[in-house]
Amino acid sequence: MTDYIIEAKGLTKRYGKKLALNNFNLQIPFGGIHALIGANGAGKSTLFRILLGFESPTVGETAVLGMNSEQLSPEMRGRLGYVNEEHSLPTWMTAGEVTKMQRNLYPNWNQKVYEAVLGNFDVEPTQKVAELSRGERAGLNLSMALAQSPELLILDEPTLGLDVVAKQAFLEALMHTETETNTTIIYCSHQMEEIERVAENLIIIENGRVIYTASPDDFCERISYWICDFDEGVPELSSIPGILSLKKIEQQYHLMTVDQQAEEFKEYLLSVGAENPVQAPVNLDKAINSVLAKNHKSPTELV
Amino acid sequence: MSKTTALAIQIATGDTRPIFRQIVDGIRKEIAIGNIAHESKLPSVRALAMQLGINANTVAKAYTELTSQGLLESRKGLGVFVTEPKQLLSKAEQEKRLKDASQRFINEVLYLDYSPDQAVQYLLNEMHKMNNRN
Repeated sequence: MTDYIIEAKGLTKRYGKKLALNNFNLQIPFGGIHALIGANGAGKSTLFRILLGFESPTVGETAVLGMNSEQLSPEMRGRLGYVNEEHSLPTWMTAGEVTKMQRNLYPNWNQKVYEAVLGNFDVEPTQKVAELSRGERAGLNLSMALAQSPELLILDEPTLGLDVVAKQAFLEALMHTETETNTTIIYCSHQMEEIERVAENLIIIENGRVIYTASPDDFCERISYWICDFDEGVPELSSIPGILSLKKIEQQYHLMTVDQQAEEFKEYLLSVGAENPVQAPVNLDKAINSVLAKNHKSPTELV
Repeated sequence: MSKTTALAIQIATGDTRPIFRQIVDGIRKEIAIGNIAHESKLPSVRALAMQLGINANTVAKAYTELTSQGLLESRKGLGVFVTEPKQLLSKAEQEKRLKDASQRFINEVLYLDYSPDQAVQYLLNEMHKMNNRN
């Protein structure tokens, strides 16, 4: 038996000229809540579709629960949960019918969790799915996904479009599900506040590759922020060790770096003519932003 | 079965201190100012996680750190308790901490333009108040 609930080896997926995944490698151990973070188009949704066997990779292979994604049996699929960002459900059925169908399909169905999450939404069993608002549809879909108590739950931007109360209730149920039923949860989100509260592990992807995996705290510790003057001219960007970004704001330069010892980096800055270098604290939002901004498409400088 | 003492602490996301660190600091402060007495039973890991709306592992990490610092102890089957105060720091560490704290205090005093005598008097008064309360 494998030690990982998800394994991807040398995964490449090409759509025409575009590489959605580029020699992508990932191993996720059993348990915990893992947040997948990346810019738009980084390859998150493609990865999910390949993991679940909805699409085939151009090169490479993936396994979930130790089984090749392209050979998942119906029995295996019953042990996986997936919620896509559109929350697509059969529009012609009523909420009650959809729920009943799911309850019969999943042996570990947890009615208590279902009611705890759905209770935050004004959804009547007799209402047709087509009549629900986007938020209500999300609520119904997420309640069912959590109630399935799957071994692996994959969520693509689950809280997008939920109001504050519904979001809070969903996140509580998510954390409850993880601890009570040992579900491993992989989810992607752009909301740092939520990730900081919920995720134990970050998987940061960029241009179809994993660039970092670490706990939020460990990740933050690797990133540093320096502010200084360069009156005699700025060093060549590529010559600065560990540089992620360099920005000029009025007369001062703002540098984000990775894996640089504070003392050593300060020495370095002084040696290349920096004046008054000051290290500023970094929060998770800024740390993630700095690594994603490095190769992000951006227009010309604003200031 | 002893009753659980409520923890009136708060955390903020987007802060430069990790959440577990904010919990450690928050509990240390509650103990230091006497809001939670020694021998109090703290909320379980899960209960505090629910209260703060965060992952239970983060609370567990904070409790582990406080336990290794000697401020908390977990008693099998009973819960997590605040320990009796013990001097756990070495003499050198103790002096360093006091020096750092006084440096911060002095900076504030200078900034606020109080005289050294006024500052000393203020400090003495505050410490008397604390002694009277205990």
